[in-house]
Amino acid sequence: MNTSLPGMAERASVVADRFEPLFWYIVAWTGAGFLLVSVILAYFCIQYRRGPGGPISTPRILGSHRLELFWTLTPLFIFFTFYAWGVWIYNGVVQTPPDAPEIFVIGKQWMWKAQYPGGQRVIVGGNPGNMSEEDQAHIGALVLPLDRPVKVTFISEDVIHDFGVPAFRQKIDVVPGRYVSTVYHPTKLGEFHVFCDQYCGTWHSLMVGKIKVVPADEFELFIQGKGGAQGSPNPVDGSMAQKGWQHFQRLQCQSCHVPNAGAGTRLHPRAPSLEGLFGQTVPLHGGGTVVADEPYIRESIVNPRAKVVEGWEPVMPGNYESQVTPEELNELVAYIRWLKPGGMIAPNDRAPAPFGAPRVTPPQSTPSGSSGGKQ
Amino acid sequence: MSIVIADEPRVAAPPPPEPVVPRRNYLNTEYGVLSWLLTVDHKRIGILYLVSISAFFVVGGIAAGLVRLNLLSPTGAILTEDQYNRMFTAHGVVMLFLFLIPSIPAVFGNFFVPMMIGAKDLAFPKLNLASWYVFMIGAGFAVYAVLVGGIDTGWTLYPPYSSRSHTNVTPGVFGVFITGFSSIMTGLNIMVTIHKMRCPGMTWGRLPLFIWAMYATSFIQLLGTPVVAITLLLLLAERVGGVGIFDPAIGGDPVLYQHMFWFYSHPAVYIMIVPGMGVVSEILTCFSRKNIFGYKAIAWSSVGIAVVGFLVWAHHMYVAGIAYYSALLFSFLTMLVAVPSAIKVFNWLATLFRGSITFHAPMLYTLAFLVLFTVGGVTGLFLATLGTDIHLHDTYFVVAHFHFVMVGGMVLAYMAALHYWWPKMTGRMYSDFWSRASATIIFVGFFFTFVPQFVLGYHGMPRRYPNYPQEFQIYNVLSTAGASILGFGYLLPGIYLPLSLFFGVKSPANPWSATGLEWQCPSPPTTFNFDFVPVVVCGPYEYAIGVDQLGRGLPDPPGPGDAASPYRPVGPAGPIHKETEVVG
Repeated sequence: MNTSLPGMAERASVVADRFEPLFWYIVAWTGAGFLLVSVILAYFCIQYRRGPGGPISTPRILGSHRLELFWTLTPLFIFFTFYAWGVWIYNGVVQTPPDAPEIFVIGKQWMWKAQYPGGQRVIVGGNPGNMSEEDQAHIGALVLPLDRPVKVTFISEDVIHDFGVPAFRQKIDVVPGRYVSTVYHPTKLGEFHVFCDQYCGTWHSLMVGKIKVVPADEFELFIQGKGGAQGSPNPVDGSMAQKGWQHFQRLQCQSCHVPNAGAGTRLHPRAPSLEGLFGQTVPLHGGGTVVADEPYIRESIVNPRAKVVEGWEPVMPGNYESQVTPEELNELVAYIRWLKPGGMIAPNDRAPAPFGAPRVTPPQSTPSGSSGGKQ
Repeated sequence: MSIVIADEPRVAAPPPPEPVVPRRNYLNTEYGVLSWLLTVDHKRIGILYLVSISAFFVVGGIAAGLVRLNLLSPTGAILTEDQYNRMFTAHGVVMLFLFLIPSIPAVFGNFFVPMMIGAKDLAFPKLNLASWYVFMIGAGFAVYAVLVGGIDTGWTLYPPYSSRSHTNVTPGVFGVFITGFSSIMTGLNIMVTIHKMRCPGMTWGRLPLFIWAMYATSFIQLLGTPVVAITLLLLLAERVGGVGIFDPAIGGDPVLYQHMFWFYSHPAVYIMIVPGMGVVSEILTCFSRKNIFGYKAIAWSSVGIAVVGFLVWAHHMYVAGIAYYSALLFSFLTMLVAVPSAIKVFNWLATLFRGSITFHAPMLYTLAFLVLFTVGGVTGLFLATLGTDIHLHDTYFVVAHFHFVMVGGMVLAYMAALHYWWPKMTGRMYSDFWSRASATIIFVGFFFTFVPQFVLGYHGMPRRYPNYPQEFQIYNVLSTAGASILGFGYLLPGIYLPLSLFFGVKSPANPWSATGLEWQCPSPPTTFNFDFVPVVVCGPYEYAIGVDQLGRGLPDPPGPGDAASPYRPVGPAGPIHKETEVVG
């Protein structure tokens, strides 16, 4: 982060490129007006100051209709040019192109959450103190494509917020109880500030986040669930891992593969935790080790008793292959591959869930349904 | 260029003799606390208001100082977030509702409207006293709310946050609700007084422009304040009674509140600034010895602001989720309301043309007003324009713009009025040197405080942020440094004005050689202002000819440079000879 401000603020969107000429146009006119007033004022004050002891001699000037007319109509005409230009820019912000992808952003005290058409969900930013530890790890950025208009629809869960992006020269009040929409059309790669601009309570000033503009093809991959462009370990709904998690739920895998279990907890797992398993070297029952890669994971599902991990009984049924299609099996593997430590939550964990990491309850069959229960 | 010359040259009449200073004036006619608390004299009530709002100004100023100090550090230098939120709310509520709105109407309006139109008192003296009590009761609630426990909603009190906040919103809103009635009473009183109690010859075309400004202000107070009263009552109904009006969670509409709130609160900024414009017209003419340029243009622009000011409220809400075509319409109307202010500034400038200008404290404050108000006015255009407001909305640009108009404009006009009329109100003169020094210091400090905020706003720093990105720090430090200069500037009048009560030179009846009727009374005035019924024979600013509104000559005005005793009728170089010249 740079520690000083440039003369001209950073521009990163079509609206910003339109804003600057209008802004400096108004600066030029109003600056000229201010200079005119100041110079005349200073000149009059010096020219017409009363010298000591001099006679007071002033003309009796009452006014001039022509001058009044002149300085009524001239400013009015200039102001109307501001108005017309401003309307043109405003129009470009309000009128959304019909084919633009739509992103939903939810404001709440004190965080921003975004949902993508592919089902991806990102915590754009906010006060970490108002999030669970898990969510704090999932703070990412609102991913936007370069040089493509995106429609963003906002709603608030509680009070009025305002989604302001200085580099885009745009802001919009995020009102509870109604949708408001705007268009972002980024023109520059990079990360940009998001501020909450409508006062919303104690941590208003920490309700800040990041926008990340990526190349359009990278955005496409992200939308399809193939890339973690948001910069946080969120699971990506619609991705293979997300689908795999749904199978994981359906097949009741979590009833034995309990996370974070062990001595001292109430949980009595019958199978090892799968969190952070991928890529680890695993000791096997009866000696030897194996690297937990895709082939090993697949084998352990299809033929669980072939390579049993040291310290565990071979109790897993061997009939899972008949319950999943090969595609679904791939998705299960993708999920386990994705599953980071802390990524899975124990069945009895009833922490209120913003969104993000998979939950044990309720089963979420569709990406859009997955956010419905938490608002 | 055609210059309109109304009259043929006349020989100036001789100045009236200095009135005999009466033994009894409104200050010493009675003594004791009760004589003040039960008075119905408009001048004493004006003093009651002056003392009360000065105290509130100190409270609001301390809150502002804490806010600025806290912003020295990007993570908050001295306050927690909750404390910071309470501080800027206290600053806003106290300064707006308890200082700016009553400032000129209730202090100088009360004190000088009757004197300037040749009346003995306001139309309803008891209502006037009641307005002060109502104001103090409301202010008691509001100050209790912001100081004990605090309010954290900001002065705009937007629901649903304000209907859910666990802080002292209820007594605060109730207090503001009550002070509104005081504002209505004052407005009603002044409006009726101007209509019914003008002395013989004081036609509408001869009213001083301060009176026109007060008339326009009363119009806004009468029509606007009931709306905010309704709004605040509805907010209380939602908070206390759980009636769903603004909170969508119980069936309300938060944008409705903003419409209702700004329907009052936008005209309310004209309640604050229009009286200041009236003061400026009085002082500029007096200290340049000129007739006002474009009397009718200035008078009608005040009324124009009052009327059109009611049609622009939603320009606070371009990004709040209002309809596209409303935004277009309100932006258009806002462009219209900007014009009358421009007209006034140009007319004031033209008034100085070929004047004979001296720079005593009231004039210095007024010149500072002209510069700062112009900046405040033109920066409003950035916010009136849709395309720029969608970025600048709710940033420090708005904060800077608002303070340029309200502090650079209104507070300086208030200071100008205070210095202009102080000798009339108290019979004493304050220190010439220190008053000029304070005007200069305030002007410089003000610039340093608020110009950096325009830069911050352009770069997008949001308002009401105790935590901000590192790159904004340098401008915040600059602003706080300026604020300390500004604070010092405000401290000076707090010292030399009270001192002048005891050590000041006694002021003659007309120390500035001004034309208004108020200067025909002795300083300080007697209880009923005039011993005779004044008969006005000419307009308010006949400085070129050198006659007051009664057609009598003017005493010699104070000399320009004599700091030690500029208020003697005779300047250091002997009597100043008046030569009247009329050009066409």
